Amino acid sequence: MHNENFPHSRLRRRLMAAAVLGMLALPLRAAPAFAEITWEDLVPEDWDPMAEFADVKDLDALPDSDPRVIELYERLRHVWDSAPVVSAMAGRAVKLPGYLVPLDETKAGLREFLLVPYFGACIHTPPPPANQIIHVRAATPIKGLRTMDAVWASGTLELKRSDSAMGSSGYSMAAKSVVRYKEPRR
Amino acid sequence: MRALLHIAWRSAWNRRLTLVLTLCSIALSAFMLLGVERIRTDLRDNFTSAVSGTDLIVGARTGSVQLLLYSVFRIGAATNNIRWDSVEFLQSQPGVAWVVPLSLGDSHRGYPVLGSSDAYFEHFHYGDRQALRLREGRVYTDLFDSVIGAEVADRLGYRLGQEITLAHGSGELNLSDHADKPFTVAGILQRTGTPVDRTIHVSLEAIEALHLDWIGGAPLPGMRISAEQVRQRTLQPKAVTAALVGLENRAAVFSVQRQVNQHAAEALMAILPGVALDELWDVIGTGERALLLMSGLVALVSMASLMSVVLATLGERRRELAVLRAVGASPYHVVLLLVLEGFMVTLAGILAGVAALLAAVWVLNPWLQSAFGLTLAATQASALQGWMLLGLLAAGLLASVVPGWRAYRLSLADGLSPRI
Repeated sequence: MHNENFPHSRLRRRLMAAAVLGMLALPLRAAPAFAEITWEDLVPEDWDPMAEFADVKDLDALPDSDPRVIELYERLRHVWDSAPVVSAMAGRAVKLPGYLVPLDETKAGLREFLLVPYFGACIHTPPPPANQIIHVRAATPIKGLRTMDAVWASGTLELKRSDSAMGSSGYSMAAKSVVRYKEPRR
Repeated sequence: MRALLHIAWRSAWNRRLTLVLTLCSIALSAFMLLGVERIRTDLRDNFTSAVSGTDLIVGARTGSVQLLLYSVFRIGAATNNIRWDSVEFLQSQPGVAWVVPLSLGDSHRGYPVLGSSDAYFEHFHYGDRQALRLREGRVYTDLFDSVIGAEVADRLGYRLGQEITLAHGSGELNLSDHADKPFTVAGILQRTGTPVDRTIHVSLEAIEALHLDWIGGAPLPGMRISAEQVRQRTLQPKAVTAALVGLENRAAVFSVQRQVNQHAAEALMAILPGVALDELWDVIGTGERALLLMSGLVALVSMASLMSVVLATLGERRRELAVLRAVGASPYHVVLLLVLEGFMVTLAGILAGVAALLAAVWVLNPWLQSAFGLTLAATQASALQGWMLLGLLAAGLLASVVPGWRAYRLSLADGLSPRI
């Protein structure tokens, strides 16, 4: 009877080993003071993008090529591009996971990239709103990462001044470290 | 140990023919392994440094890799041009800081001709945000001025003031010359190690002027427009091949990209250079892996041949090894002797392979540079190359341990007693 439970006991042993390892690793992980945040934290709580689209009805019934849908996309884009940012985030040392879109690649590695919250080529969906794109500048060039790799980026968040006529603003980050994404240990 | 080395060397010299053949196969495998890895890394370095600071490349709708290849690397041809009003549309987009129109399709003695605006010299960057700099002369100011890349100047021996004739299409054979409208070399750019070195730059108006009296891809008979007459015409470009776009806020790139892709007046496509490069690596990666696999197999075969050669010579060396044992060498000495031989052959093979690679790169580099704009940095070893060499050496040692073990098992009497 006991023998039949073998897989379970092995599992338990592994779990215990993992827990011990996890405890050992704790002091190491606590060292840098980067607060882990989520992408929702970057959206102001009172921002309701749908408020502007209260008049839209029966969208499901229209084909994508319908002029009304295209007009709607235009409006959506404007709202998305001028999405507000959380000003309290300025200057905070944070850590968050996301997908990488390379901007400036050099021989030494990747210097600048965009961090976005969802995977995809942005063909089927409009690009993420401005407050869901972080322009990351790495302190040291990163090697070995490619488009749409999932990474943890840690660094200081900055708010970009809205300089263009469109008023597009957003987040940027001076990244201390960019590492390949791993499931956080619980 | 020194005595043993001496014996190993003398014994190997006695069987030099077979060992040299083995050495050659090891040299070939080292050459292939290192060469493939070298080309792989240098190709990537060359490609990544070709464009920098450009947020979007816009062209006619095609594959993103193809657009990148013809607009930046001048590889392949454009499927379609984009109209000038599309360039104006790009310029009018909110958030767009600069637009550099590119017009391709003509050539001079096999080197591509690029028509562009003044913005090109201001905004085009390569490597790590480096701007183009002139080695001699100035940027084009006159309609028939040209600025040539360093490779064009050096290879063709062009100086400032040289008159050159551009040809339609991009080939070595200049049958359809624009000979009636010669260009003058006004400036020579500094070497960049990118496709810019192989390019002849003229103004967009010049490209337009060249094709004024051309209709349907051929010069119209009886309708020659001289260089002087051309200057009187309005030379507003009607179409360009592609455009480089820089943004004020790089984070707005997706939004502008989508706007371009959905432009109703003309089918346009905007790509992020970095993303398109990664797609290119996906395509090339399969071939690279196949090449690496092939070189690995060659290495395996050469190691197997090393093992078989040392094993085969064991038969004829029975007497030799037995005599060594008889004069006081321990079985371990015999093992060491054989391992030493394998090690020497492997090491010599690797050194020969490295030397061959250096020589090949030295010989081929000028041609690679002028034909493909690819520069191989043979002297910069990558970490992976180091590991490959260590792996080869370890495999050579391992391959000679097997015959060594067999020699260890052969008894003293076996070699000394005469065979019946």
